[in-house]
Amino acid sequence: MSSVEEPISLSTRAPALELHEIQATILRPRPAPYFGTHMLFRVDDTRAGRAFLRRLIPHVDSAAGWWSATEPWLSVGITYAGLEALGVPQDSLQSFPDAFREGMVGRARQLGDDGVNDPKGWDKPFGTGQIHIGISAFSSSDEQRGRALAIVRRQFEGFSGVSVLTMQDFGAQPGDLNSLGYKDGIDQPAIEGSGVEPLPGQGRPIKAGEFILGYPGEVGVPLPMPQPNILGRNGTYVGLRKYQSRVGAFNRFLRANGSTEEERELVAAKLVGRWRSGAPLTMAPDQDNPELGADPQRNNDFDYAKDPRGRQVPFGAHIRRMNPRDTKMTRLTDVNIHRLIRRGTTFGPPYEKDELSEQDDTVARGSYFLFISAKAMATFEFLQQEWVNDGNFVGLDRERDPIIGRQEEGAIFTIPRAPVRRRIRGIETFNVLRGGEYFFMPSISALNWLTNPNA
Amino acid sequence: MATATLKSSAPNGPKHDQAVEEKIQQIRQLYADAPTLARTALERDLDALRSDLLDSPPPPVESAGRIGSRLGNVSELTIVVPLVPGGAKRLRAFLRLLNGNLKRGGDLVGTLHNMRFVFFDNDTRLLFATTYDGEWDAYIDDFVAKIPDYLDIIDSSWEGWPGIRSPGAKDYLAKHQITAEGWYVAYPDLTVAEIKRLSRIGKAVDELLDKVG
Repeated sequence: MSSVEEPISLSTRAPALELHEIQATILRPRPAPYFGTHMLFRVDDTRAGRAFLRRLIPHVDSAAGWWSATEPWLSVGITYAGLEALGVPQDSLQSFPDAFREGMVGRARQLGDDGVNDPKGWDKPFGTGQIHIGISAFSSSDEQRGRALAIVRRQFEGFSGVSVLTMQDFGAQPGDLNSLGYKDGIDQPAIEGSGVEPLPGQGRPIKAGEFILGYPGEVGVPLPMPQPNILGRNGTYVGLRKYQSRVGAFNRFLRANGSTEEERELVAAKLVGRWRSGAPLTMAPDQDNPELGADPQRNNDFDYAKDPRGRQVPFGAHIRRMNPRDTKMTRLTDVNIHRLIRRGTTFGPPYEKDELSEQDDTVARGSYFLFISAKAMATFEFLQQEWVNDGNFVGLDRERDPIIGRQEEGAIFTIPRAPVRRRIRGIETFNVLRGGEYFFMPSISALNWLTNPNA
Repeated sequence: MATATLKSSAPNGPKHDQAVEEKIQQIRQLYADAPTLARTALERDLDALRSDLLDSPPPPVESAGRIGSRLGNVSELTIVVPLVPGGAKRLRAFLRLLNGNLKRGGDLVGTLHNMRFVFFDNDTRLLFATTYDGEWDAYIDDFVAKIPDYLDIIDSSWEGWPGIRSPGAKDYLAKHQITAEGWYVAYPDLTVAEIKRLSRIGKAVDELLDKVG
């Protein structure tokens, strides 16, 4: 019967993105400093859920003119359970990828979310199946955050059929640091056709279809899209992970492996591949360089050509795992198909170096980590399996990511040095997973479609 | 030799022991109408088998993800596909061009322990089997991005092959894969990358010892 079909024609021209349809958060970087709130909702009544969406739409920013952002801005994501609650027709529901339909809890095995990261230990409402709609407000000041919240409140207060499950404020710590005391969010993929000039070191722009549905991806064809087209096109997927930072354990680990402040800070830099300031070890191998760390034109402008043995940035360091760039890997790998747009949002009190107790491990503080991609589920599963909770891809056997890995008893971290490498033992899970969910982030037109999907 | 039924302790719990006994009874029943030599062989081996299964049962085979079995880091994949007319001829010629040795593609991929291509049923069907590291679909997208032509040269002989860039390619592979019922790996912890690393270390140690000794 059938022979091989004609080859699929590969697009070489970059299509212009329909920015007015794409939600702003996908392309718009986090402000610095940033203030915001994540809100999670349950839809108890289909009609109320649709009405709630309809009221929100005028306040959801598109990416058009993102460079002149009117702040604050809102983004809206909907879980699979949420699409069901909104009465999306069956054939449409079935057009979503399996991993999205199963949700993050259902994919715990593929994500390696076991042990301390097991969904059994998650904070409610995560893992209960009740999260239907997620709204995030981003702004550059606390005052503007308040305005964003007031806008959302007006849409649901005195409105039955939609319940608030959680409201979580987040915001940059002094110096723009995360809950383990590092500047983060520096390395982002450049996206073709987004109109954003790539920063030095970002690499060639990646095909838009990797991040936004309806455009050709890296292999030249668009990814399968939820149907109908109006629902899928210009949308994407967002993964949310809530991490609790164990600041005490982290500081105890640094103390155990460095007798002076300088030694401890070098170990801390080796774990990440950057100093606290964001300065990369490739460009500042011996000591921190805060000026370099603060300069977006320079702080990501490097590759590993001059560091093939990992003596500056260890192979197991967080940034080398999350973007190996030109690192020689043991497996046939295309780094450009495993990238994510990342929006880390820190919550809780700032990191302090002298917090050493076990109580300090339980202070509510950490990160709501958002990652965005047109194939977010598949990419994140790949990252978790191959680059986070394994080391085989760079010849490190079972070694795991020191920052976001789920560590086994007696875990090690290897720091290549001449003449012999240093192996640090007793690394612990410093960021414990306390919740997670997948959201579909529809286009503006798709949001409108969702308010009346049977029309 | 003491049989396990006489043991007082049950290291894997009474439930495990009971399950083993039930499975053994089931095997006995299934072999009841087998040839005498099969029944005799089974009875001769049964005591030792039972005692092994009760005392130190091997870790169960895990799933390699979407389809297939895995032990430790090492997974199996067996695909049986019908070939298009002329497909066997083309594919055989291609394999012979490589002297029947798939080193080029195998080395490039980095996760493959071995591969085999077997034509059967008068060249109308093909068995493709490989042993590889990790999860079923972790690197398929990388193959699509990095070596699409290599895969299409081979797989275009397969009936109904949609093309490696097609979103249906993974479904096609999964549909034609048959999960092995039994699976054995001598070193389940050793990936190809780890074997290469250990081999390098072994040589370096020998060189060092040669200098010292």
